Amino acid sequence: MMGEKMNRTMNVLIVGVGGQGVIMVSKVLAQLCQADGHDVKQSEVHGMAKRGGGVFSHVRFGPKVWSPTIPEGEVDILVALEWAEGLRWLKHLKPDTGTFIADCQKIVPPFACRNRKRGAEPAYAPQTPEEIIEQVHAGYVMDATGMAANLGNARASNTVLLGALSTVLDFPEEAWIEIIASTVPAKSAEINRAAFAEGRAWAMGGDKRIDVTAGGLHKAHSEIHHPQVDTILEITEEWCKGCDICVKMCPERCLRLNDRLKAELALPDLCTGCQLCAWLCPDQAISVTNIPVTEPAE
Amino acid sequence: MKDTTEATAFDVNSWIRQEQMPHFLCPGCGHGIALRALVWALHEQGIDKDKLAVVSGIGCSGRLSAYIDANTFHTTHGRPLTFATGLKLARPDLSVVVITGDGDCLAIGGNHLIHAARRNLDITCLMLNNEIYGMTGGQVSPTTAEGRYTSTTPQGNTEPGFDACALAAAAGAGFVGREVTMQVLGLRDLIGQAIAHKGFSFVEVLSDCTEIYGRKNDLGASPEMMLAKKSEMRPFAYRNTVDVPFRPNHLRTGVIARSERPEYGAAYRAMAAGLRGEGGDA
Repeated sequence: MMGEKMNRTMNVLIVGVGGQGVIMVSKVLAQLCQADGHDVKQSEVHGMAKRGGGVFSHVRFGPKVWSPTIPEGEVDILVALEWAEGLRWLKHLKPDTGTFIADCQKIVPPFACRNRKRGAEPAYAPQTPEEIIEQVHAGYVMDATGMAANLGNARASNTVLLGALSTVLDFPEEAWIEIIASTVPAKSAEINRAAFAEGRAWAMGGDKRIDVTAGGLHKAHSEIHHPQVDTILEITEEWCKGCDICVKMCPERCLRLNDRLKAELALPDLCTGCQLCAWLCPDQAISVTNIPVTEPAE
Repeated sequence: MKDTTEATAFDVNSWIRQEQMPHFLCPGCGHGIALRALVWALHEQGIDKDKLAVVSGIGCSGRLSAYIDANTFHTTHGRPLTFATGLKLARPDLSVVVITGDGDCLAIGGNHLIHAARRNLDITCLMLNNEIYGMTGGQVSPTTAEGRYTSTTPQGNTEPGFDACALAAAAGAGFVGREVTMQVLGLRDLIGQAIAHKGFSFVEVLSDCTEIYGRKNDLGASPEMMLAKKSEMRPFAYRNTVDVPFRPNHLRTGVIARSERPEYGAAYRAMAAGLRGEGGDA
């Protein structure tokens, strides 16, 4: 597919939210193109969007690239690390031949919550993946963050998308893996290799694909029975960031971080229901409820 | 201090915008604990959400207002106190709480802080002091301690840090307090007193920036940073009773200064009523 395309410049636009790894994706792609003998220009906007703001990166490669930025409507491949960011840049995609690769992960910005009525939907992009995928020439909408989380680290979602991107571009798989291994820190090389393979295998299943897993919060629920009080300890897994405060501060040392770096109640028998973990949790992920028992348990 | 059953009745989720969670803060950031203490204090003071306005500036602390389920206002850098002053003068029926950071409040907003304290308008100002500009990449802030490394002081900071509580008290704030995030209940009660005080209340919360400040200065993870800060604190109530030979670097915590100066809003409204010819001594 690349043969006739490569007489002209290929335009890849990578968009996402600060901290997701947009720059890493574009760096891998640019290095790969350079190693393959193309002329490459890459330009990006980052900095003030260090955490939570929009980030985008243009990668152009071909026999000779003149301008570092891509004109509107000229993007061959749009890689979106966040769903709404992908929609924001969708009009830059070539209408008839563009490929859209997106993570369905939603990062809701604060200004989307102006309607404060209880239960009100945030003003986030209402378009569903099904609607969007009908509009584009070729589309891949995947739960890259979920896939990466299943592999052990949700932060590898950008590498999952790189895996999907690798099926659209005509570079050998080994070259991708080699560049990724040289770009990421040595300690995360293994998970990035697995994430790349996962994304690539998924995208091999054909274009116009949607794979969205249902959302919702998972609460690890534990009940501890004391002579006069029942303690209910709930840990919201999606909110826990594994900061270790509850584990280290618990007077009974009954909590621990599991292999996914989420807090869990390891020794329920030792929990006294003192609530210190809930009070000190910066992520509001732990709730401890003490319910007095009317009749003492036998 | 409240007993356990009453503490249990508080549900933080009733004050948090669920769709916004998990929040954007780094793992172990003390601002999250301060957020809980603030909404807990608001809950205990019986503040109606519709009669509450939370104003915040720019920075890691500035983003906290987005997570509180009340009337919230994310303003420009250094100016949350200015916006809050206008808000409180126009709507004296609202409880106005300002969330600001050390850079926001003392560097670009330093002037606004001293004049807000001078006017003594009934605003509660919560300054989350993490000793660094966390959001923009870890630059030195006015409260960074001497000798600490930041991205703009690669050889160590040579400037002395600011004592924000002394500044606010000298400028005339009606209520000045300081607490560490480790003491959640103490922090909650201190913020509660600040909200109840009629006049400008300034509370400095000693928060921890684990990911940037802690890592750069090799202070350990968030539990170690919290415990270190706790070991340095010295409740102000004991200032004359305990000699602290083993704690030379103690931090004064608790209520630090209190005065019953007249609140500014009343004088302003009397003047406005006089101009409208509705009485007063105009």
